[in-house]
Amino acid sequence: MLNYDFKWSILWSDPYGGWILEGVATTVKLGILCCIFAMLLGIIIGTFRITQFKPLRIFAEAYTEFFRDIPLLVQLFFWYFAVPSLLPEGMRTWVYQEIPDFEFWIVVVGLSLYSSSRVAEQIRAGINSISPDQFNAALSTGFSHYQAYRYVIIPLAVRLVLPPLTTEILTIFKNTALAMTVGVLETTFMSQQVEAYTFHGLEATTAACVIYMIITLIVVGVMGWIEKLLAVPGLIIRKGADS
Amino acid sequence: MIEIINVSKWFGEHKVLDNVNETINKGQVVVICGPSGSGKSTLLKSLNGLEPFQEGDIRVDGISLKDPKTNFIMLRQKMGMVFQRFELYPHLKVLENITIAPIKVLNQSKSKAGQKAMELLERVGIPEQAEKYPGNLSGGQQQRVAIARALAMEPDIMLFDEPTSALDPEMIKEVLDVMVDLAKSGMTMAVVTHEMGFAKEVADEIIFMDEGRIVERGTDKSFFENPESERAKEFLRKILI
Repeated sequence: MLNYDFKWSILWSDPYGGWILEGVATTVKLGILCCIFAMLLGIIIGTFRITQFKPLRIFAEAYTEFFRDIPLLVQLFFWYFAVPSLLPEGMRTWVYQEIPDFEFWIVVVGLSLYSSSRVAEQIRAGINSISPDQFNAALSTGFSHYQAYRYVIIPLAVRLVLPPLTTEILTIFKNTALAMTVGVLETTFMSQQVEAYTFHGLEATTAACVIYMIITLIVVGVMGWIEKLLAVPGLIIRKGADS
Repeated sequence: MIEIINVSKWFGEHKVLDNVNETINKGQVVVICGPSGSGKSTLLKSLNGLEPFQEGDIRVDGISLKDPKTNFIMLRQKMGMVFQRFELYPHLKVLENITIAPIKVLNQSKSKAGQKAMELLERVGIPEQAEKYPGNLSGGQQQRVAIARALAMEPDIMLFDEPTSALDPEMIKEVLDVMVDLAKSGMTMAVVTHEMGFAKEVADEIIFMDEGRIVERGTDKSFFENPESERAKEFLRKILI
């Protein structure tokens, strides 16, 4: 006989329901910010990886390897505990105590950098799948290298890698759970807190599971919509051939 | 005017251009032919700086491509190029494909560039396709859009890199017709092609390349009726069957 006393109502009773909602809001904010920064940085770094200019290429390669080869948790600890300890005593206290939401922004930095290295690799793969003559065609009309990337290569590459980018965005939202380890009051943290106060861990953790599921399904829906919006006839199926 | 002076180029150990000399005068149409791997596309792409070369020089209207001060962006605005596989921008509509460079490079207004683009689409015979995406066009139509795109920058010189070799046979003519019109309008053209009918009709000079060298050159009659080199004879036998 199962002797667990289910009490789902704690999930919407005061103050626990409010905690969970606050956690969800933080998770969503964190996820959206990290997605934006990871995409922007990833596109820039991914493009750097294939430029003719060697120093940029080397920088981008080092960047990619650095941020994708170290576990995310370790990177968050590094930004949160290690980097401030390099600061002089007074400043360190100031950083931890006076910067509003310091933990939150540390996770934005850490998760964005980590994810951008993965986005960069996907963008690079996308760019490499575009024929060199497409780039030549853009240059031949008088575009600078920057313009050729800006108006032709990047818009194409992003479309080509939208499906794997969707997976990456899901990963970003799921990875925000690690923010609890540096004290960000997001969904996972809040569900653990509800457990600590009520001893109803099963309900609290189930709530977290359902919340992440809903968030990721929304992301999948939005990305599917973007994919349709940006769909281009003949792009992925066959490029430029007679039909 | 384009002067190609002792140009040589290597890919690693392999010499792809071997001491090439040629002059293309204003208004001239030069056809470059030869077996695959003979360096003809490489030569064409070196004319607007898309392929760098190690030795020699190319001068376009007196501007040296070897001069570090040469602005390739300015140079390429004066040289339109058409590619074997069209290379239209698939995410932009036909009209946008044509107007984007005039708008972004020459800072033309949208309406002015659009008007000019429509004129060019009339000229290549497909104004009704303006609002479609390239993926919805046939190969022949795409290549005509590519020609219009190049002409939108009002180039002095047009370069064609095997413009019909990716096309189904029945579409070749519609592209060649546009090119013949262009040639007859006095455009300076360098055309890599095996379309000997086109060469016969409009070429002022035909260059035959093999292994990175210009093996033979002539006007259409001398080249077709009486090629000197064995290599050219063999090549012509194969493609004229």
